[in-house]
Amino acid sequence: MMLLPCPWCGPRTATEFRFVGEARPRPDPATATPEQWRHYLYVHANPCGWSTETWYHRAGCRRYLSVERHTLTHEIRAVRDAATGTTAEAAP
Amino acid sequence: MSLLPTPRRTRATDRADAERLPPRAGEVIDRRRTVGFRWNGTPYTGHPGDTIVSALAAAGERVFSRSYKYHRPRGLLTASYLDPGCVVQVGDEPNVRGAHRLLAEGMDVRSQNTWPSLRFDVRAVNGLASRFLATGFYYKTFIKPEVLWPAYEKVLRTFVHAGEVPPDSAPGVYDKRYAHPDVVVAGGGPAGMAAAVAAARSGATVMLVEEEHQLGGHLRWGGPAELARLAELRAQVAAEPAIEVLTDAVVGARFDDNGIPIVARGVPGIDERLVKARAGVLVVAPGLVERPYVFAGNDLPGVVLSTAVRRLVNLHAVRPGRRAVVLSANPEGDAAVGDLESAGVEVAEVVDARRGESVRAAHGRSGLRVVELGDGRRVEADLLVTAVGWTAPTSLLNQSGDRPVYEPRAARFVPDPTRMPENVLAAGGIVGDGDVDALVEHADAVGREAARRAGRSASAAVAVPALPVADHPELFSAGTGGFVDFSEDVSAKDITTAAAEGYDSVELVKRYTTATMGPAQGKLETVNTVAVLAAATGRTIAETGTTTWRPMWAPVTLGALAGRSHEPVRYSPMQPWHERHGAVPLIAGQWIRPEHYGDPAGEVTAVRTGVGIIDVTPLGKLDLRGPDVASLLDLLYVNRWSTLGVGKVRYGVMCAEDGVVMDDGVTGRLGEDHYLMSTTSSGAATVWEWVENWLQTAHPEWRVHVTPVTTAYASTNIAGPRSRELLGRLTDVDLDPERFGYMQVRTGRVAGVDGCVLWRIGFTGELSYEVHVPAGYGLHVWEQLMAAGADLGVRPFGVEAQRVLRLEKGHAIVGQDTDGLTQGFSAGLDGLIKLDKDDFVGLPELRWQRERDTAPRLVGLRPLDGMVVPPEASQILDRAGGIAGRVTSSRMSPTLGRSIGLAQLDRELAEVGTRVTIRLPDGRDVTAEVTSPVHVDPEGARLRV
Amino acid sequence: MSEQTAVARSPIAPAAPTVRHGWEVDATVTVGPLTLSDETPLAKVSVRAPFDGAARRALGVRYGRTGRVDLGGEGVLIAGAGPGEWLVLGAPGTGAALVASLEELLAGTGEFTSVLDLTHGRALVRLEGAAAPRVLAGVCAIDLADAVTPDGTALRTSVAAVVTDVVRDDRAGVRSYLLHGERSSGQYLADSLLEAGAGAGLEVTGFRGLG
Repeated sequence: MMLLPCPWCGPRTATEFRFVGEARPRPDPATATPEQWRHYLYVHANPCGWSTETWYHRAGCRRYLSVERHTLTHEIRAVRDAATGTTAEAAP
Repeated sequence: MSLLPTPRRTRATDRADAERLPPRAGEVIDRRRTVGFRWNGTPYTGHPGDTIVSALAAAGERVFSRSYKYHRPRGLLTASYLDPGCVVQVGDEPNVRGAHRLLAEGMDVRSQNTWPSLRFDVRAVNGLASRFLATGFYYKTFIKPEVLWPAYEKVLRTFVHAGEVPPDSAPGVYDKRYAHPDVVVAGGGPAGMAAAVAAARSGATVMLVEEEHQLGGHLRWGGPAELARLAELRAQVAAEPAIEVLTDAVVGARFDDNGIPIVARGVPGIDERLVKARAGVLVVAPGLVERPYVFAGNDLPGVVLSTAVRRLVNLHAVRPGRRAVVLSANPEGDAAVGDLESAGVEVAEVVDARRGESVRAAHGRSGLRVVELGDGRRVEADLLVTAVGWTAPTSLLNQSGDRPVYEPRAARFVPDPTRMPENVLAAGGIVGDGDVDALVEHADAVGREAARRAGRSASAAVAVPALPVADHPELFSAGTGGFVDFSEDVSAKDITTAAAEGYDSVELVKRYTTATMGPAQGKLETVNTVAVLAAATGRTIAETGTTTWRPMWAPVTLGALAGRSHEPVRYSPMQPWHERHGAVPLIAGQWIRPEHYGDPAGEVTAVRTGVGIIDVTPLGKLDLRGPDVASLLDLLYVNRWSTLGVGKVRYGVMCAEDGVVMDDGVTGRLGEDHYLMSTTSSGAATVWEWVENWLQTAHPEWRVHVTPVTTAYASTNIAGPRSRELLGRLTDVDLDPERFGYMQVRTGRVAGVDGCVLWRIGFTGELSYEVHVPAGYGLHVWEQLMAAGADLGVRPFGVEAQRVLRLEKGHAIVGQDTDGLTQGFSAGLDGLIKLDKDDFVGLPELRWQRERDTAPRLVGLRPLDGMVVPPEASQILDRAGGIAGRVTSSRMSPTLGRSIGLAQLDRELAEVGTRVTIRLPDGRDVTAEVTSPVHVDPEGARLRV
Repeated sequence: MSEQTAVARSPIAPAAPTVRHGWEVDATVTVGPLTLSDETPLAKVSVRAPFDGAARRALGVRYGRTGRVDLGGEGVLIAGAGPGEWLVLGAPGTGAALVASLEELLAGTGEFTSVLDLTHGRALVRLEGAAAPRVLAGVCAIDLADAVTPDGTALRTSVAAVVTDVVRDDRAGVRSYLLHGERSSGQYLADSLLEAGAGAGLEVTGFRGLG
């Protein structure tokens, strides 16, 4: 029921979004070892504190968003469009 | 000789209003009219404005239920929504709060879980043989042996105090709506009303929510001064159009960012409405809840709280008894003495706790007869009124992050304002004490501050005056036993026993004894539980702490939560035709599709020998445009796409990064930079999000526009040796196989409709064309195909026939012949996966799967007895009897006249010709031979005609 | 090759079917104060382009707002339906012409754009009347107050659990919302609105058009 401040659509209830997961870089598939690749697939930091996550606004602008969220308080301190980097201030 | 009058048995009509008082200044009943209802089958009457229980009490009834475990008789305690002894069945509605629900004409009210009757309940023997129901009895009794669990369940069910929902009960009307008030005020007493008015006057929209049927809180049962104040505040509320008043409604919870569910009853034509409010600011003003006193006999009918007396006398004009003892520690108790005297009740004794006087025990069987005082005297009475203090119902504050602290001076918990979030404020008795003026002054400031914080006034922060708590003696238990939780039948002894057994934390005691877990959700019981536990463990109340106050504030019906159902249903444009022609519906996710039209085997044969058409509109379709589409396809599919020419289609499979098969389908290249991708029906939404994910997060530099067009096209597959003949009658597209070959795509006109996409593919294994037409014309084209093919014997076929046809051809279905662990090389994709591509999603895992070469394989399967069709998911055994695989698809093949299947099978057994054992669900074993997955036309000759 | 004149159909079954503009539409006419009409026959064209570049300036509408313009001689409603995404509504049968006009309009921008006729892929209804916000509040979590979503607002959200473009397009000062979504759940969407509006007296009326 928390609100997520979409940079495009404004605050919307979290049910409009799909939580994709922690933002993690993809290893180079040509050189990745099984250990590196499975770390990418399965090992999550799951911090108690600030976490950079990807959310998809499936019922709204249909944009993938990079969200900095505090996992304990649900405070959100930064949201930007994953592709364009657009923030609420910069959105038209 | 008893001082109490002997109860008379008389006819019910005589007894209506037997205990009704002359008119009271604040009464809420309409004496001019009567309401007829039945109580356990007997007719009674009351007045509009009566609750079920006030009408029964006015008729002289004193027992309304039997308790949960011991089946003890229970009567009035709080005369409010929380009253644990007044839960009744009304018609087919169970668990109705009898001391809250207003009387309505014709109500059929029954006591719950009493057998054979409320007066003679045989299970009351539990009180004598309570070893069976010892402390923590769930944990002690129902552990072993497990074979007895069903028996335990049956026994337990008969004891449970819940009512019954008859299977034929009519569905209620449950509504749901969203609301966006600037301020929600939880509680419509003087503080709540004042806060609402102040917020509205400051420009805020306000939702004022009151659990009872009228605004006013405790002012309603006060004297002339309080009633005058009540009228004034109600007029102020009514004068503010920005205030929406919801009575008989509760604020259920406070979730993040002030997501506030409100359950409202009493809306015309609706049983309950769930208002999902998103408020700027929440003002918590629930007042205080009077706390019962813990002593031996405290659950006897006739032992009541002072607020119950005040409500009964002043709101419903009911004489609550004949001869009373009052235990008072505060002014509300003193006022109850005045109310009793004005109601003609003889007050035999006022026990003033502030002078150290006390009550030890109450005695009686089905009702109070004698009160035993602390000094040893025994006083005959049918009413014992206790006024020993207050509980601050802080649920909503706790849910907001507050951690209320125990204030021993006031004998209650008070909020810790430093822990409250910006968008939550508190007002009224939950904060502190004072006369009405002090409460209103404080709440007025809170209301103005709420409007300011909601962004409705630009003024500086409002200075909210202090509202200090008043001194109150700490009075919880007489130390003589008695009940702590009336709903759950948890006694003080249960708490001390639990502590002695080592359950000394309040959270453990709660779970072990179930104290506070009943319908009152702790508002009557928590503090007494804590106090008794504190005494048992030699700690203070502050040290002991309280349990967590979780949502919901009050029990909520499942109807309110389910509300109006929002379950989207999707139909193809051809659905009306299917319905007219006897299609058996298949629910596939949100889609309703024809499973078959009565004869799936005949439909299969029609496709193999003539021509059939199937509605495949639910196939996912994505329109892809831009110069980088080929790069995108190369990344997402395991096979190669950059080589696909314009006018060609290709089959592709997508895997996830773990190499597990995700989706499949064909994609056609319609133009230089224009592709149409198809996905599985169930995977359409997932694949779209997947494509967008890679485009937006990994390759924002790629120029690709993706548009879902699943239902922009109505899709029909025309399959069978005569499909070309049929389609040729309706299209201007050249179908000559020399110019429109297998795995090619064309656009053109079909049955007079322009803009159609035709691809020649072969999921069924037959010559077939998939025709995608603009969806508005879907029904038209379908009807034209049926008409044009009449002489060819064209038949519609459904999903079942399609499953058989594709199984005969060995085409795997993602999600049926694969599961969440099936990587690409276990899905028969060896020839498709291009490990020499630089990159594609899932490449490393597939490379490693290939190197290991130990994974299960997708194989064909034929039982030696071709009449046996092993159910899907039957296990396949290895030679040692272990599990070596499972049957993933299995059908009788009309084409071959025998059973065929697909299976996931261990590598060692996957060679063609191997004999394996299939264990059927009924335990029988059958032998089957491993075959190629392709059962019909392995050369694919039928496709390329 | 045999042919019969093709009639296009909406996903929402009409109570009193009649054919107009090549579409089967509902002939029902209601003059009540709260109505729901099936506007699916309107041409619906999707435009994709960078969210804030030359294409946006050419279209004259930003995300979240609507505009009515003349396009190739046709009066159309343009809604900024998403970042870099526009929905252009025009009279029935004008889809192909709109695509051509829009492609011509955008050709000069030099940006990566695409124009797609989605007339057949979407359902479109209009909910009109002073009580329309009350009906929508039963199925939609968006704040419909004037201060938050004034006339000319375009947004996308969940309506009765279906992703829907909500376009506020008041007519003659009367609250009016266009609801645009995926075609196959059109009947479900209309049914959900009628159910949510039953208590408020919502009635079905026939196709009205953009006017």
